[in-house]
Amino acid sequence: MNKVMYLEFERCIGCRACQAACRECGDHDGKERNYVEYVDFMESRQTYPMMCMQCTDPACARVCPANAIQITEEGVVLSAMEEKCIGCRNCTFGCPFGIPKFDFEENKMYKCDMCYDRTQHDISPMCASVCPSDAIRFIDFEEMQELRRRRTQLNLVEGKKPTEQDKWQYVPEFFGVYSD
Amino acid sequence: MERLERSFYSKASMYSFVVVLILFFLLWIATGQFSKMKWASSGYIISSFIFFIGITVRICAWLIRPATHQVMKRSLKNLRKKSRKKRNVRAMLKTAVDNIILQKFIFKRGWYRGLQHFFIAWGCLLSLAITFGLVFNWFYFDLVDPQTYQIIVLSIPTITMHPDGFLAFISYNALNFSSIMLLVGLIMAISRRINNHDTKVTQRAEFDLFPLYLLLAVTVSGLLLTLSYKFLGGFMHSPMALVHQATVVIFLVYFPFGKLFHLPIRPMATSVPMNYWEEEGADTRPCKKCGDTYSNDDQIADVKEILGQQAFDLQMEDGTYLSDYCPACRRRIRVMTHLNMDAPIQGAGEPVMTNNGIHMPGFGRERDESFYNKKETEES
Repeated sequence: MNKVMYLEFERCIGCRACQAACRECGDHDGKERNYVEYVDFMESRQTYPMMCMQCTDPACARVCPANAIQITEEGVVLSAMEEKCIGCRNCTFGCPFGIPKFDFEENKMYKCDMCYDRTQHDISPMCASVCPSDAIRFIDFEEMQELRRRRTQLNLVEGKKPTEQDKWQYVPEFFGVYSD
Repeated sequence: MERLERSFYSKASMYSFVVVLILFFLLWIATGQFSKMKWASSGYIISSFIFFIGITVRICAWLIRPATHQVMKRSLKNLRKKSRKKRNVRAMLKTAVDNIILQKFIFKRGWYRGLQHFFIAWGCLLSLAITFGLVFNWFYFDLVDPQTYQIIVLSIPTITMHPDGFLAFISYNALNFSSIMLLVGLIMAISRRINNHDTKVTQRAEFDLFPLYLLLAVTVSGLLLTLSYKFLGGFMHSPMALVHQATVVIFLVYFPFGKLFHLPIRPMATSVPMNYWEEEGADTRPCKKCGDTYSNDDQIADVKEILGQQAFDLQMEDGTYLSDYCPACRRRIRVMTHLNMDAPIQGAGEPVMTNNGIHMPGFGRERDESFYNKKETEES
């Protein structure tokens, strides 16, 4: 897999198409695993999409007492294995980004798995394939690098200059799984 | 204790040694100082020993994980507290009945899956119990007189029964009943794995399918043995017995290292109602930022401890930890940080300032005071 998820939060228009698409994904059982939330509803209508970072060393898996959260060979962090999950919700509190969801009825945790059945064949995940404003994109690593460069230039035009220490603050979030 | 521990390679090897000693002791009692050993089932005995050693080693390895260790530590601490006795007993009973005996949570994932798991789980548990009992000679039948059979448990004579009675019929065929249960569950499970496309997303052949086919081989070969001696007059009985023994040996050796290992770790689900439910079904700890309840103090303390032990530095500049905030606030903190806004963490209810001089309102820094002052001076 040589593609990455690329999020530009400002582009989100709050249509929640990504959530509707997520519900349709295989094995998601009609429940969405991503989030679309308001930054601050009292101040503006700005929303942002949010999904799992697929950490290489995921805190959710580290805090799981049952060792239920597995990582595929491509690096996708999967939902807790249903037979092992004891329903303690440690993962939802351990995750620094607040991603895992918990189903009290069925006693299991579920989280964004980047539509593993699709992305393992380099097909765009459901949310990225439907996003009308390109807030969520599933693009080549090189294309992502190009977009980041352009973004840095935009920041320069706006009068902000990144230094070696804080250049990471000037690029949008990208994540996902890629090999060289 | 520590000196004893040091004389072994590791804790796991010490506990395995203890388990082997206990098994040998039980075997010694049950077989009358090894005089009634059944050598035909020696394959079963050896693989049962490997089974128990494997389970012990796996449980030890699993308890070493910081997360598991922390949860078990808190569970043991709470178990010792007298003031929590009522809650502990209730938690254990609730988990045992709802979670392990009735497996209610799987039925909520769908009646088909619930029924399938119920059949496989209880078929497996009953068969394992009977197998170990017979292999280690923990119980067997003895003929007292031509009209009376007696069940002998650990060399102690217990109930007697008529050889053609109802009780006798049940106990002779217990393994057949459990294997029929298992067969029904396995057919349901395998057909689900074949027909349901959702399961194919994350299923792995060696992890999810192998145990099913292995169990199927054990069950079918066992049922064929019954068929052979009941209806075919012992046709092909001894080769089938060997095949059955071979499949059971593979199953027992595989058990601690594959998917089926979820069985011995399931009782840890007790720790959830025991430690983490201050009030049943309700959270008690408020989020540092928005004030909504999202967890309880003990659990957040545990999570911080586990993360700290594994060198996850999730402490913020103001000394709070990310796990002090509810998931929704943590998502917001992440967005604000990534948008170059340094995530203003304010008191509960305060709005996030998203208006700066450069970006469109929504994402950006607050306008500098000098910006407004400059405008005022220009106007005047």
